[in-house]
Amino acid sequence: MLKTLIEALALISTWEVIIVMMLASIYGLVVGSLPGLSATMATALLVPVTFYLSPIAAIAAIVAASSMAIFSGDIPGALLRIPGTPASAAYADEAYAMTRKGQAELALGAGVWFSAVGGIAGTLSLMVLAPPLAEIALSFSTFEYFWLAFLGLMCATLVARSSPVKAIAAMLLGLLVSCIGIENPGGVPRFTFGLTDLFGGIEPIPALVGVFAVAQVMRAMMTPEPPPLPRRKFGSIMAGQWMLTKLYHWQMTRGNIVGIIIGVLPGAGADMAAWVSYAMSKRFSKEPEKFGTGHVEGLVEAGASNNASVASGWVPSLLFGIPGDTIAAIAIGVLYMKGLNPGPTLFTEKASSMYAIYLLFIIANIMMIPLGILMIRMAVHILRAPRSSVMPVIMLCCAVGSFAIGNNLFGVITVASFGVIGYVMEENGYPVAAMVLGIVMGTMVEQAFVTSLIKSDGSILPFFERPVSAVLAACTIAAFAWPALVWVKRKFAEHRTVAAE
Amino acid sequence: MRLPDRVTGLFLVGLGSASAYGGWLLPPVPGQPVGPNVFPLVIGIGLALCGLMIAFGIGHTFEEEEELVPFEGGQPVAAQPRSRLFGLRALLPPTLLIFYVVAVDRIGFIPTAALIVLATSTALGARLKLSIPLAILAPIGIHLVFAKLLRVPLPAGLLPMPW
Repeated sequence: MLKTLIEALALISTWEVIIVMMLASIYGLVVGSLPGLSATMATALLVPVTFYLSPIAAIAAIVAASSMAIFSGDIPGALLRIPGTPASAAYADEAYAMTRKGQAELALGAGVWFSAVGGIAGTLSLMVLAPPLAEIALSFSTFEYFWLAFLGLMCATLVARSSPVKAIAAMLLGLLVSCIGIENPGGVPRFTFGLTDLFGGIEPIPALVGVFAVAQVMRAMMTPEPPPLPRRKFGSIMAGQWMLTKLYHWQMTRGNIVGIIIGVLPGAGADMAAWVSYAMSKRFSKEPEKFGTGHVEGLVEAGASNNASVASGWVPSLLFGIPGDTIAAIAIGVLYMKGLNPGPTLFTEKASSMYAIYLLFIIANIMMIPLGILMIRMAVHILRAPRSSVMPVIMLCCAVGSFAIGNNLFGVITVASFGVIGYVMEENGYPVAAMVLGIVMGTMVEQAFVTSLIKSDGSILPFFERPVSAVLAACTIAAFAWPALVWVKRKFAEHRTVAAE
Repeated sequence: MRLPDRVTGLFLVGLGSASAYGGWLLPPVPGQPVGPNVFPLVIGIGLALCGLMIAFGIGHTFEEEEELVPFEGGQPVAAQPRSRLFGLRALLPPTLLIFYVVAVDRIGFIPTAALIVLATSTALGARLKLSIPLAILAPIGIHLVFAKLLRVPLPAGLLPMPW
């Protein structure tokens, strides 16, 4: 244990890792704070760069950028009422109300402080949960993997804040995209339409860049520019945070725990954690009437929650290769690329690398406090950058980055096509995150499904026979039945009110 | 580009049926009951069913309408008068990416990138005072990072960089 820890320290204390972490943090803070540029997009555009780094430095870049971006989404949320990332959307109204009451420092300080605390709590959960789960996961067969992956996909559709039918359709669309290519059980070209470029299938990263970055530039073309930030001077940002921690320590702990649970669930990520925690905070608060008028309590709980889920989202990613959210989906791609293939054996064979990841998370969350304060002070200048100067650079990064992944211009075509697909889907209420998870997990779901079917000689029954797979199957079916039940109940209630009138 | 649910639903029905049929046609693995044909078949059927449900408006009640965010004064942003061609502006970014694919090997990275930056920033309402310096500096900066530091083979074309 101590030996692995020292090895891990040696792995991360190289100049490359330190410099990469610094740069990725600044990049994450800036991109996360710009409205419309999400944490997922920041991470996706970073992937081509990680190709050229050593494995630990590549992971450091992803960890630092994603943690920072989730926090810095709070900044425009508080100052402009425009959440910088979807994860901040839950409490942007509340934070903005605080700013109008003249408590911008308190709101932003709570953002940075409780984000850091949440991130560290999430990392601790990753350290505690992952090894014992790895023990259990070693005995999993393809049946369990199939249900686990399927459950992840179902969770992704449940948490999408739109029609569950559309979310399932989006998820199936993603699975369909993953069918393209020759990487299938028979090794035959499938849905390639004779195009050699499609033989290798659709790479998840260009597809991600397309739906999250290009689609965002397309949306910017259609929407008015957000208003410029009024100039303001900030007082002390960390003042009063310790008092808040003592006053709301129970809310903070609850936020951490909820964030961890939602992060561990495959498919549900930081934005869901923030929504659930904010709602919970309001539900259990002693003074719920203050919510929405600039009350810091909900901010504490939701801020602690969304960053906790970022770290704990790595649990299913590292153990099963099943992403906890879209950022983890990108991280999985990077892990495969760097020879750290996710799976339970990772914890025994590459233990030092795992410890290095834990350490990276802790360092990133500690660095968040000084860098975050700096960022808040500079935000007034950064947020004044007009959209017409940011978006063209994003476009160039999309083009060059997608080319760099395979040194192949087909990547650029993929990005452009998925930009259009993502834009049309989002406009019509189809959640793109569900599709992305479908694309990332498709090959794995199919492999587990077909192998299980071959083992069971085409019968469905063995899918439910093993105890663990039966439990997972029950959860999956419950996830399916939940929206249907809600729908039936609502219809029933409507019917009754109509009858009563 | 907001389409009625009926249109997107029926499109999904078509896509699902096509993929189920396409999967059906694929050869199975010799000696096995299942092969590459099963998965597209299952997904295609699922997609077609979802499409039908969407077309009939099931699950529509779960959707949340986006509210207009009022700014400082509490007034929502007024909708600008828009011509019919306004919607086509959204297609500019993907078109520029396709332009990149076509042009980059012929005229090189720097000129192509400059044109893309110029077009995007002008379309977003930048004045020439901003967009021209940006179109000169941004491609050089990106070239420096990707071609020099990360050694991505970007085509030199008409304007090779000195590094």
